[in-house]
Amino acid sequence: MQDNLTPLPMSVFSRPSETTQDQSSAASQATSTAPQPVKATVVTPPIKSKGLNTSNVRRMRRIIAEDAEWSLAIVPLLSELCIQHIVKNFQNNPILTQLLPEDQRKILDHLSPDLPLTVTANLIENENYWRRCCTQRWPVCHVARHGSSWKRMFFERHLENLLKQFIPGTTDPAVILDLLPLCRNYVRRIQVDQFLPPIRLPPPPREGDQSDSGSEGEMEESSTDHYQLRDLVAGLKHLEELDLVYGVKDCGMNFEWNLFLFTYRDCHSLAATIKACHTLKVFRLTRSRMDDDKARILMRSLLDHPALEELDLSHNLIGDRGVRTAAKLLSHSRLRVLNLANNQVRAPGAQSLAHALAHNTNLVSLNLRLNCIEDEGGQALAHALQTNKCLTTLHLGGNELSEPTATLLSQVLSVNTVLTSINLSCNHIGLDGGKQLLEGMSDNKTLLEFDLRLSDVAQESEYLISQALQANREAARQRALNPSHFMSPTTSGPENSAG
Amino acid sequence: MNPPGALGILEEKEDEHLSTPILGPSVHSDNPQERIQARRLRIAARLETRRREALGEYLDGKKESEEDQSKSYKQKEESRLKLAKLLLCGTELVTNIQVATDIREIQRRVEEEEIKRQRLEKLENEVKTSQDKFDEITAKWEEGKQKKIPQDLWDMLNTQQLHCAGLIEDKNKLISELQQELKMKDDQYVKDLKKQADDICLLLERMEEQVKNVMKTFRQELSHIEKAFEVERQELLTSNKKKWERALQAHNAKELEYLLNRIKKVEEYEKQLNKQRVWDCEEYNMIKIKLEQDVQILEQQLQQMKATYQLNQEKLEYNFQVLKKRDEESTVIKSQQKRKINRLHDILNNLRSRYTKQIKQFQEENQSLTSDYKRLVMQFKELQRAMRHFALIDDEKFREIWLMNEEEAKDLIGRAFDVDRIIHTHHLGLPWTAPDFWFLKNLGPISQQPKKSATEIVEEVLMQTEEEGSEETMLELESYLDLPKQVSAKTTRKILMLLCDESGFLIESKLLSLLLPLEKSECYLLRLDAIFSALGIESEDDLYKLVNFFLKYRAHHLPSSQERSSVMVAPESVEKLPTEAGKKEKLSEVEQEVPFSPRLIHPNDVLKALEAFVMGLNKPRDPRTPLKKQKDVRDDSKDSEYWKALTTVIPPAKENVWDALYTALEKYHLILTKRARLLLENDSLEQHNTELQMLLQQYLDSKINSELQVPPTQVFRVPTKESSALKG
Repeated sequence: MQDNLTPLPMSVFSRPSETTQDQSSAASQATSTAPQPVKATVVTPPIKSKGLNTSNVRRMRRIIAEDAEWSLAIVPLLSELCIQHIVKNFQNNPILTQLLPEDQRKILDHLSPDLPLTVTANLIENENYWRRCCTQRWPVCHVARHGSSWKRMFFERHLENLLKQFIPGTTDPAVILDLLPLCRNYVRRIQVDQFLPPIRLPPPPREGDQSDSGSEGEMEESSTDHYQLRDLVAGLKHLEELDLVYGVKDCGMNFEWNLFLFTYRDCHSLAATIKACHTLKVFRLTRSRMDDDKARILMRSLLDHPALEELDLSHNLIGDRGVRTAAKLLSHSRLRVLNLANNQVRAPGAQSLAHALAHNTNLVSLNLRLNCIEDEGGQALAHALQTNKCLTTLHLGGNELSEPTATLLSQVLSVNTVLTSINLSCNHIGLDGGKQLLEGMSDNKTLLEFDLRLSDVAQESEYLISQALQANREAARQRALNPSHFMSPTTSGPENSAG
Repeated sequence: MNPPGALGILEEKEDEHLSTPILGPSVHSDNPQERIQARRLRIAARLETRRREALGEYLDGKKESEEDQSKSYKQKEESRLKLAKLLLCGTELVTNIQVATDIREIQRRVEEEEIKRQRLEKLENEVKTSQDKFDEITAKWEEGKQKKIPQDLWDMLNTQQLHCAGLIEDKNKLISELQQELKMKDDQYVKDLKKQADDICLLLERMEEQVKNVMKTFRQELSHIEKAFEVERQELLTSNKKKWERALQAHNAKELEYLLNRIKKVEEYEKQLNKQRVWDCEEYNMIKIKLEQDVQILEQQLQQMKATYQLNQEKLEYNFQVLKKRDEESTVIKSQQKRKINRLHDILNNLRSRYTKQIKQFQEENQSLTSDYKRLVMQFKELQRAMRHFALIDDEKFREIWLMNEEEAKDLIGRAFDVDRIIHTHHLGLPWTAPDFWFLKNLGPISQQPKKSATEIVEEVLMQTEEEGSEETMLELESYLDLPKQVSAKTTRKILMLLCDESGFLIESKLLSLLLPLEKSECYLLRLDAIFSALGIESEDDLYKLVNFFLKYRAHHLPSSQERSSVMVAPESVEKLPTEAGKKEKLSEVEQEVPFSPRLIHPNDVLKALEAFVMGLNKPRDPRTPLKKQKDVRDDSKDSEYWKALTTVIPPAKENVWDALYTALEKYHLILTKRARLLLENDSLEQHNTELQMLLQQYLDSKINSELQVPPTQVFRVPTKESSALKG
């Protein structure tokens, strides 16, 4: 644990320092501390020897003869010199794959992270090099979020940065498209949490938010289209995840609604893009003020998508009509996770979702947090859960649910053997509802999490429920540890002692 | 010794590993039973460890917790529960903030909705009241227009102004209120932002605290667990050491025991070995001798075998050579055969091609020959036709020549008769009578009509009767027809038809089938032909006989008509004529009309009549040889007779008379000729004489004479005038 923690602060410190220092720190990370001094000695003599070579060979020999401290160990090897040269001229003449693995490693250890991507992108696979590149550019690097691949991380974050800074109409689209052939094999996820709108005012300041504040009132919807992802996504071969937010970050008091405008053209273009991208598994479009019509356009394009597994449309303005399309999408896709948190779903929408859910065999997780489905929707969902055999996670927090839903849910709890997590926080379940849920819990052996915070449930029943959950968790742990001998620990114990 | 947690567990396991084999039997023990046991145990232990690894640390602990190792397990379980609780609480603590914000948000939303509703209501009310006011004002404008007194108008305008001001004020108030609200909202927003920032700060704080707490507790728990493991390890070590010592002691004792046992056994074995050795030596010698003998025998055999081997080798070599040569020969022969085969193949192919060619050729030939044959048939037919034509022409010619010759002969005969008459009348002075011969009256060739076959007649009959109605030239044809006149063609035909119909059984069935497609007349003809051949009717006569027989038969069987019977007698008498006499006689016979009875013989009687006829026919037939029909050959026997007869018109007696006459006349002629010659001689002599006189005269008259001394005249007496005179 300590080993994992140490590189982060180091990289943080090394970031503002000079490149040489960074290189050394990177080298110290990459290799053990022992080879470092050796390499330092290797670096210095070539310059000397080079100067001597050019000036006078004889004099050099004479000097060597007189030098008492001279020994063969000081003279750098020819291979070392060659490697040095290759490193120096790597930008113009990249020689790597023809070399021995050992030499390759040496060269990679010495290459500068500032080399142009056109040279390095498809040539270098070495993780250490890309690690240096990443740590040089960003202070905080979560490699695990990028499939534990530094190279992938580098390209993904590089692309994300470009997309975030892209201003339609001002920035040259070639900036991104040029990168496409270099990163197409490595980028699996695009996570962009801001799209800058085009600038209306002639003098374009560097920061996007200031320009937006300046162009107050003159923005029209037609002109606020954002960057079209179509070409980029079509070019990326392995794209699996798309995480987009059509909005501007850090606007602070310069807030203006137009900054968060997800236009129809954006919507159509995005729909076509994700429809064409057959490798896409995860699609997230959050905090983009997407209303019913746009959501419907998007979800229609996702019907019968071959790979899509997760759809996250939380923090939008999707109402019942959009949810109805989502329900249709559920039965026409292989969706496993659906997140509609913080939208405007009401009872009819929840009912249509429940209808789709009743016979669905793919969906594992459903999130309807901060909607307003109320008892009607809650009851419909509970009815659906009685027949559903797939859903494991259900989040109904903050949905104005009350006792009737709780009674139905308690029935579900005693029947359903798939659900592992339910969240009913921030509802008005009431004391009686809590008791009924407790009754339902007494028959359930699979539920592991049941959130009833701030839902007017009696402390006693809440405690008892948590006890039941604890027992369930223990049982689940036993099962996980010993899937074959489910009840063996109790029986095998005495046997073992006897033997 | 203070290893980290993970290592502790490992060590514990190692301890287990170390401890288990010591307790049980050793693999290196001398006792095989014990070794087996040890191995079994080892395998069991391995299985156990593997299973434990699979089950994981927890089960491991749990299993062992039952007895000695309960301490570490308890510690682990305790700490695990503690940590889980801590984590749960921590996450709850952290997520509490989210939940709290959620519920705040919900409350805010509810409030917002309420406020919105109120605001909307208010606005609506406002709109209503202002509308009312506005309506009032507009109504007053109407009123104002009616006012005519300026004072009033002024007042009214003032009040209107006041009202309008009030309305605008209301609106302004509303607007300011709304703006106030907006400002409040802005403040609220800022507050919310602050609140959220605070929340986030709190969240961060809590998270950090949580992390710190968790880290701390984890460390604590780790140290606790480590300590527990340490203690347990110590305990285990001491207990295992004790065990080990005990086991060692037991082992030593056992080893000593084994040693003693072993010494004893060794001595025993030595004795046994000595014994065995002696026995073995003896046996060894025996076997050696025996084997040596065997070796000798075998060597002998070997020598023999070698000899035979040599022999065989030579033989085989010789055979090999022979075979080689044969092989060569065979290869030569093979190649030859191959060549031959190739050649034969070539020939075969050639022959095939030739064969096909010939087939073609023959086909062509065949075609050409068939065409030739057809052509020839055509030619032959044409020839036949020509021949028939020529035969006719020849007949004609013959007839013409005959007539010509006859005429000539008759002419000659006439001349001869004339000469004869002249001789008779002039020379002999006898009266002459013309001879009368039959052939003199003959005109044209002697044509003898041959007897026709029955079928031909039938054909003719049929043909005739068919053509009867249409043509009047029947008479002409009838001249060729040799029908007996007493039987008309019609009757014959009818009779024949009857016969044909009734006696179908005589015809062969094959023929009947063949006849079907033919014409009616032809059909009848062929049928009759068949019937006749069956009955034995061949010639014309037979046919007539038949016909007559039928007629007679009918006559016999029709006694009712007495008159007829008398008439019918005539044919009876006539009937014999054609059979016996020639044709000419037939023709000369008085023609007798045979009455045609409408009812001919009854069909039922035909067979009876036929039977009777056949019975009657057979008798006379027997001796007679069947006539061979010669159609084309003309009978020329009479011709020579005829012509000979023509030559003998003048009888030999007369000829003799003529001969005698001739000789007499010749003699007369001779005398006459002699006389004529003499007369001629006389004339010529006279003439000669005159000439000579003239010549003499001349001579005498010539001048030369005068000159001559002696004139001839003087010598001679000139008798010129006198001789001529004499002569004349």
